[in-house]
Amino acid sequence: MRYRVLALAAVAVALSVVVATASASAKRSNAHTLTVWLQVDAQNGWPDLVAAANSAFQSSHPGWNVNVVYKQWNSHLQEFDATIAGNDTPDVIEMGNTDMTAYMASKEFANLGPYKASFNNSASWLAGLKASSTYGGKLYGVPYYAGSRVITYRTDLFKKAGFKKPPTSLSQFQSQLVKVGKMQKHVKGFAPLYVGGEDWFTALSFVFDYGGSIATQNAHGKWVGTLASKKSVAGLTRFKQFFDATQSRSTATLDGSNPFPYTVFSQGRTAANYGPAWYTCCVKPIKASKVGQFVMPSHTKGKPMPGFLGGSDLAVPIQSNSQAEARAWIADFTSTANEKALEKKGNIPNATNLLGKSVNERAAARSWFIPQAKHWADVQTGNILKTFLAQFLTGHLSVKKAAQVADQNIAQTLNEP
Amino acid sequence: MLTAAAATVGSRRRVTGRQIAGRSVPYFLLLPVVGVLAAILGYPIYFLVKLSLQRYGLPELVQRHGEYIGLDNFRAVLHDPLFWHVLLRTVVFTAVNVGLTIVLGTLGALLLVRVSTWLRLLLTIGLVLVWAMPPVVAVQVWQWMTNSQNGVLNYILTQLHVGNYFQHNWYETTFSSYAMVTSLIVWGAIPFVVITVYAALSQVPRELLEAAQIDGARAWRIFKDVTLPVLMPVLLILTSLSIIWDFGAFTQPYLLIGPGQQTSSNYLMSTYLYYEGFGKNDFGTGAAISLLMLVIVAGLSVVYVRRMLRVGEEA
Repeated sequence: MRYRVLALAAVAVALSVVVATASASAKRSNAHTLTVWLQVDAQNGWPDLVAAANSAFQSSHPGWNVNVVYKQWNSHLQEFDATIAGNDTPDVIEMGNTDMTAYMASKEFANLGPYKASFNNSASWLAGLKASSTYGGKLYGVPYYAGSRVITYRTDLFKKAGFKKPPTSLSQFQSQLVKVGKMQKHVKGFAPLYVGGEDWFTALSFVFDYGGSIATQNAHGKWVGTLASKKSVAGLTRFKQFFDATQSRSTATLDGSNPFPYTVFSQGRTAANYGPAWYTCCVKPIKASKVGQFVMPSHTKGKPMPGFLGGSDLAVPIQSNSQAEARAWIADFTSTANEKALEKKGNIPNATNLLGKSVNERAAARSWFIPQAKHWADVQTGNILKTFLAQFLTGHLSVKKAAQVADQNIAQTLNEP
Repeated sequence: MLTAAAATVGSRRRVTGRQIAGRSVPYFLLLPVVGVLAAILGYPIYFLVKLSLQRYGLPELVQRHGEYIGLDNFRAVLHDPLFWHVLLRTVVFTAVNVGLTIVLGTLGALLLVRVSTWLRLLLTIGLVLVWAMPPVVAVQVWQWMTNSQNGVLNYILTQLHVGNYFQHNWYETTFSSYAMVTSLIVWGAIPFVVITVYAALSQVPRELLEAAQIDGARAWRIFKDVTLPVLMPVLLILTSLSIIWDFGAFTQPYLLIGPGQQTSSNYLMSTYLYYEGFGKNDFGTGAAISLLMLVIVAGLSVVYVRRMLRVGEEA
């Protein structure tokens, strides 16, 4: 018995040695692997474009494999930080345009400026995305695609209320919504336009529509919160009016993801959402024929309301040993053909010369972006804006007072060393 | 003369050498354990202390080189009024959770003694199932039940005419959201207390209980003067363990309230640490806060461990 145990142990040791050497040799032959981190959006929405980029890359780089790993928005930065600590970063990473600044300021990404011409349409990249990839005058990312915010609505309910054309101004839209709400009174908890009060992308669109802003940098380089400025307060006050008129019950302390606006839509408890154009993805069982989209109207008649321009950039971490190959893959992935295909799928392509006429692209005609401060991400993770919105939407503080508090908090966070 | 001296020195040396060898055997036997502990516990703590004395943010992570700044991280944290607010909130939160867990758990154990065998079996199975449920799954269940739009809690409360809870948001105020977190934590912690206290209850001498009964003592008196003293050592261990668990609870408050709703007005020590350290990529400050937490928890449990030892000696 004891001998058998010993023999087993010996076999186990021998096996582990074999496995260890095998894995070591496997690593050697895998030296030609390019690791790419993309968001799941690509996996769900355009896996064919990823495959096209991979085969184009492999035909110009024989012997190379591409390992595409799909990540989630809410956790990929923590995972990325861990790979930086372990010196095991991917060669290419998709970054949200609001996440770029902190990493560019920390010198985490390779300078792509000298290679700019090797990317298709780089002369006409979308200004917003290009700005999010630029820090201190240097280019650290390649624009991938963008998305604006549009109104997704129930065509049947609006028709029933007598509205056949999209509204041309904010006040017209609001009165339409109120009428639709009255007609749907029998649906318990019906909100003509469902929006979580803490969904700051919506509230701040009103601020920018009235010429306001979030924060600006003064002559000494210090950040100053500007939510309590006259124009910002006008926008916020208008938002509160709109919010109060279109919500069935206070959703003031709910944010944009709990519940998801499209879930409320799919349950038939709202006639409209304001959000990314892809919200149409998830409105079943509401039939596609009853779902339409239009551009959120401004308070100025005939203009669109400025929407938050969300988007992604592709960057090359400085720890990568295959930076030239990483750049080549990015060039293949953001080729004119791929970007045109992205446009067909309802996204905004990365260059102005590729722009089409979709509702998403028309909405992007007026857009806004977060302040490009090194510590902006801390304002978001600290949920400063959500707290601020809940304070005045629930009536705990006046718009002006809440904005003053928020300005202080924002300035304190942005001016940290 | 010279050789004799050398010989005495040599023999003395030989004797002491053998003695030392004999005495050091137990220490040599301890070496493997010490080695393992140093590797899995000592090194991380050493690294944490080192990190807490450095400015270590994203730029330093990229350069893989922190800058020593002495006790600046600790100074900044201790001068931050938010730290003291959070500490107070966490202490109150821990006291409420531990108190409820121990009281309800003990009541559950007393109930378990009195019910019939098959009911006891059923209850025990239920308790073990609760104990076995991973916190993340439990959070999901709680989220569904307390969901403002479709939650069964709002539906039942409205149907029972307790009030109008249609689309009531349980996470609107700090108090209300922590009531939810507390219910989840206490629910998950009770089984361990019930089963442990139930086992301890079998140690209560039956003769003593009967004698007290014959002397005319009421139920409360019997519990207080006969049962409780026997349970005391177990209750103290459970209390100190619960303090350690609840003071550092992260999964339940972070996930149930939601990453998107963590603000300075509802941080606990664990979520505050997460925001300062990982959310802001300020790993030095994060390390300083976690060391402070370590000291606080150690301080809180020392009181209990000492009392526990004393109770142990008396018994």
